[in-house]
Amino acid sequence: MSGVPIGSPAASHSSGHTPALLVASGISKRFGGVAALTDARLDLKPGEIHALMGENGAGKSTLMKILAGIYSSYEGQIAINGRPVSFANVRQAEAEGIAIIHQELNLVPELTVADNIFLGREPRIVGLIIDGKATRAAARDLLGRLGIDLDPDQRIASLRVGEQQLVEIAKALSLSARILIMDEPTSALSPAECERLFRIIRQLAAEGTAIVYISHRIDEVMQLADRVTVFRDGRHVLTKEIAELDQDRIVAAMVGRSLHAAPEEATNEAGDVVLSVRSLRLSKPHRRGWRQVLRGVSFDLHAGEILGIGGLLGSGRTEILETIFGSANGQAGGEVRLDGVAVDIRSPRDARRLGIALVTEDRKTQGLHLGASITDNVALPLVNQLASFGLRSFGGEAALARQAVKSLAIRCSGIEQTANTLSGGNQQKVVIGKWLATRPRVLLLDEPTRGIDVGAKREIYDLIFRLARRERLAIVVVSSELPELLHLSDRILVMSEGVQTGLLSRSEASEERIMQLAAPRSANGGRKVA
Amino acid sequence: MSVLRLASRTKLYWGLIGIFLVGMLFSPVTSSGKNIFLSYGNLLDVLRQVSTTGLIATGMTAVIITGGIDLSVGSLMAICSVVCAMLLTVPGDTPASAMGIPITVLVALFVGFAIVRFIFTNIEKSRARGEAGRDVSLNATRGLLVPGAVGIVLGAALLWYLIPEAEEKFGVLGVLIVVPCVGLFFGAINGFIIVAGRLQPFIVTLAMMVTALGIARLTAGQNNAVLPVYTGTNAVAEFDNLRSLVFGIVPMPGLFFIGALLIYGAVLRFTPFGRYVYAIGGNEEAARLSGIDSGRVKIAVYAMSGLLAGIAAVLYVAQYRQGKPDAGAGLELDAIAAVVIGGTSLMGGRGTMAGTFCGVLIFGLLSNILQLHNINSNLQLVLKGLIIVGTVLLQERNAADLLAFLRLPAMRRAPTETPAEQQASNETVSRNIGGSANETP
Repeated sequence: MSGVPIGSPAASHSSGHTPALLVASGISKRFGGVAALTDARLDLKPGEIHALMGENGAGKSTLMKILAGIYSSYEGQIAINGRPVSFANVRQAEAEGIAIIHQELNLVPELTVADNIFLGREPRIVGLIIDGKATRAAARDLLGRLGIDLDPDQRIASLRVGEQQLVEIAKALSLSARILIMDEPTSALSPAECERLFRIIRQLAAEGTAIVYISHRIDEVMQLADRVTVFRDGRHVLTKEIAELDQDRIVAAMVGRSLHAAPEEATNEAGDVVLSVRSLRLSKPHRRGWRQVLRGVSFDLHAGEILGIGGLLGSGRTEILETIFGSANGQAGGEVRLDGVAVDIRSPRDARRLGIALVTEDRKTQGLHLGASITDNVALPLVNQLASFGLRSFGGEAALARQAVKSLAIRCSGIEQTANTLSGGNQQKVVIGKWLATRPRVLLLDEPTRGIDVGAKREIYDLIFRLARRERLAIVVVSSELPELLHLSDRILVMSEGVQTGLLSRSEASEERIMQLAAPRSANGGRKVA
Repeated sequence: MSVLRLASRTKLYWGLIGIFLVGMLFSPVTSSGKNIFLSYGNLLDVLRQVSTTGLIATGMTAVIITGGIDLSVGSLMAICSVVCAMLLTVPGDTPASAMGIPITVLVALFVGFAIVRFIFTNIEKSRARGEAGRDVSLNATRGLLVPGAVGIVLGAALLWYLIPEAEEKFGVLGVLIVVPCVGLFFGAINGFIIVAGRLQPFIVTLAMMVTALGIARLTAGQNNAVLPVYTGTNAVAEFDNLRSLVFGIVPMPGLFFIGALLIYGAVLRFTPFGRYVYAIGGNEEAARLSGIDSGRVKIAVYAMSGLLAGIAAVLYVAQYRQGKPDAGAGLELDAIAAVVIGGTSLMGGRGTMAGTFCGVLIFGLLSNILQLHNINSNLQLVLKGLIIVGTVLLQERNAADLLAFLRLPAMRRAPTETPAEQQASNETVSRNIGGSANETP
C-alpha cells in the first residue's frame, strides 16, 4: 500500500440500511473437545461502532481471531462486500483491510513510535536503507490526522499504556484498515485517556472505518457504540441498535439472567487488629540512584475487614502489597506487625509461612504456570508441605484442586485441564484458589477483577465478602475501578505519588472524594490526570 | 482417530523404532549371513558409547526444563577425568587430591546436614498429620545442631577414609566418591553465580566452560597431557570393573546411565523438587511469588548436572583408560541435542527423562549405523546435524510451517497461533488443523 490513507472516503454514517461491509455467519470453532463458537454470526456496516459483548469464554476473542486470520481452521462463511473470503494468515486478513488491536499490545519497546508504526513496511531509499526522515514524516502526518499529540521519535518504552494504544491505532490505520477490531482497549487507561480514545474512535467511524469494540464496561459501550452484539457460551444472543437497549438488558443477555446487584451487608463488627503497618517505605532503583515509591504508609487491618486501596496507576498501590508480601524489588523500610508481633518478611516464602497471600495483578506473567494443570497450579505453594519423605502426595494435591474448583465454581472439564485453556475469569479463580489453599489470614488482592466479565466479577465480589464476613479473613483490595472499590471496601486508603493522602471510612468515601485525594499535587512530569 | 492420537503421544518411540528398523534393514552382514547391527556385541557397544553423553544429557534435561542451559558440562568432565586419572595413578600429594579431598569433605558436611534435616522435617510433618499442608519448623537442636554434627561426623569419616587412600593410590570406591563431588562442587558454583548474580545461565556456564578447561589443564600439568590409566599396573585392577559387563549382560556404564536416568526421572515426577523444576521453567515469577525458593532449586539442578558430569568422567576414564583435559570437548552440545531431540523445550517448563532416553539412543544408534557403513566421519557430522534439525522439526510439529515458508501451498497452516492455542492443540487439535488446512484452497 502506498501512502497512509485513513480509511476509505467517508461513508454516510447512517446506521440504517447501509449494505453490510462484512458478514460472518455460521461460524463454529472447537478446541479439542471444547466448543468455543457454535454457529456464531456478526455483520458490520461501514462507519459503525459495533460493540461485541459477552462474558469471558463467550467466544468474542475467538471470533475476532478468526476474522483477523489468526485461526485459519473453522466452519462457516465470511464475506466482505458480498465476496466470500477466507484467511490463512494475518497478512491475508490485513490485505482485506482487517486490523486487530489486541488487549496485550504488540509493540517493540525499544523502537520509536515511527519505527513501530511502519515496522516491516519502512519507507526505504533505493530499497535498501530505511528512510528515517520519510518514516518520521509519515508518522507525524498520520498522528496529526488522528489528532494524537505524540513525538514520532519517542521510544515506546517511555510511553504510557494509553499512549501505546494510540500508536497501535495509528499502526492499524497505516495499513488502511477498513475494519478495526479493538479488544478491551480501555482496560488500562485513565478516564482522560479513555475520552481521548473515544474521540479518535468516533472520528475514524465518521471517516467510514467499521469498528468492532470489545469491552466489558457497559457504560462505555452505551456511550460509544451504534450497535451491540452479545455472545453467550459461544452462541449469538442478540444484535440490536443501542437505542433499543439499556444496561440491564445487555447484562441480562450476557449473563442469561438478570443481575440485580443486591446491596451487600456492609455492616461489619471490627475484629482484632491482624495486620498493622507503620510508616512503610520503599525505594526502587532508578537510573543511577533510588526513587522513593512509598513514603510512609500506615494502617491497621482488622479480622473480617476489607480495606480498599485507591489511587492512580503508579501511585504506589501495588507497591504497598508487594512490600508487605516481601516481593518488592527495592529497599523497604517501616514496620509490619502480625497479631502485634513485629515480623520481618523478606520473601514471598516468609509471607506464605506467616499466612499472608498475594493475588497479583497480572495472572499470566505472575500468577499462573500456564502450561500446567489446575491441580499443579493450585497445589504449587503446598507441594512440599503435603509431601512426606520427599514423595509428593498426588492425592492431597488433587483434593486441594477439587476443593478450589468446588468452592470457587471454576468452570473446567476437570482438575487436570491446562490453565491456558481456561477463560480469564476462571484463570483468576485458579490463582485465588491457589492462595486460599494456603489458608491465609491476610489476603492481598491486586486488581482482582481486571479483564473479567460481569458475571465472574460478581462471583469474585461475593467470594471476597464471604471470605471477610464468614471466614474472618483480613483483606486488602487494590483497584482502579472506583465503583468496585466503593462497593467492596469497609475503609479506603488513598495513595497519591507514594504518599498516603487519606484513609476514608465507608460513609466518608465517594468517587469525588477519592479522585480529589488521588490527584497528584507536585508539578513534576507535567502530565494532566483527570 | 485414537490411533493418530496414540501415534502422536508416542512419537518419540516411533522415531527410536524407525531408526532401529533402518539400522536393522540396512545393516551389513557377516560372511555367515549374520546381521551385524543386531548382534549382541554391537548393541552393547551402542549402549556403552551413549552412556557418557547419556549421563550428561540426564543432568542437562532438568537444567533445560528450568529454562536454563549448562554449557560447562564438557569442561567439568575434563576436570573430573583428570582428577580421576591422577588419583588412580599418582600416590601422595597431587593437585588432584589437594582439590578433591577438601571439596569432598565440604560436600559431605553439607549432604550430612541436609539429609538429617530432611529426616527431622519429615518426622515433624508426619506428627502434624492433622494439620496437613502446614509448614513445620524445627527447633535449634533438630534444625541446626544435630544435622550439623552429623555433617561434621560424615566429613571427618570421609577424611579418615580418603587420606590413607591418597597416600597410596585411590581405589574404585575412593574415586567414585571424590570425582562426582568435584563435579557437584563446580556445578553448584554455576548455580550459585546464576542465582546470586541474577545472570543468564548461558553466560555463566560459558564462563565456567572456559575456566574449567583451564583448571583441567593446570591440574594435568600441561596443555595436552594425557594421563594413562593401566589397570593392574599403574592403577588398581578392580577399576576395570567399571568398563566390564555386569553378570555378563549389561555394560557397567550403561547401568550407571539407565540407573541415573530412572532415579532422576522419578525425582522429577514424584518429588516436590521435581514439581518446582517444572514450575520454574513454566513461570519463574509465579513460582517465586508462590513462595518457592527458586534459587535453591536452580542451584541444585546445576549441581546435579555437575555431579552427573563427574560420574560420566569416571566411566570415561575406565572406558578409554586415560584422563585428559580435552576429554569432554563438545560433549555439552551432543547432550543438548539429545535432550532437544527428546522433546524437551529449550524455553523450559516442558520435557521428560523418557524423551531424553530416546533422544540419546536415537543419536547413538545413528552414529553406530553410520560407523557400520564406514561413512566418512566428516560426512557423519553433516548427517547428524541434519537429523537434529529434522527430528526437532517433527517433534515441534513445525515441519508444516517450514514447508509453508517455502510456499508449498498444500501444507499451508496458520503461522501465528497464540501459545495458548498451541498448547491447547498440542494433544488433539493439531490434527484437525492439519486436516482442514489441507482442504483449504
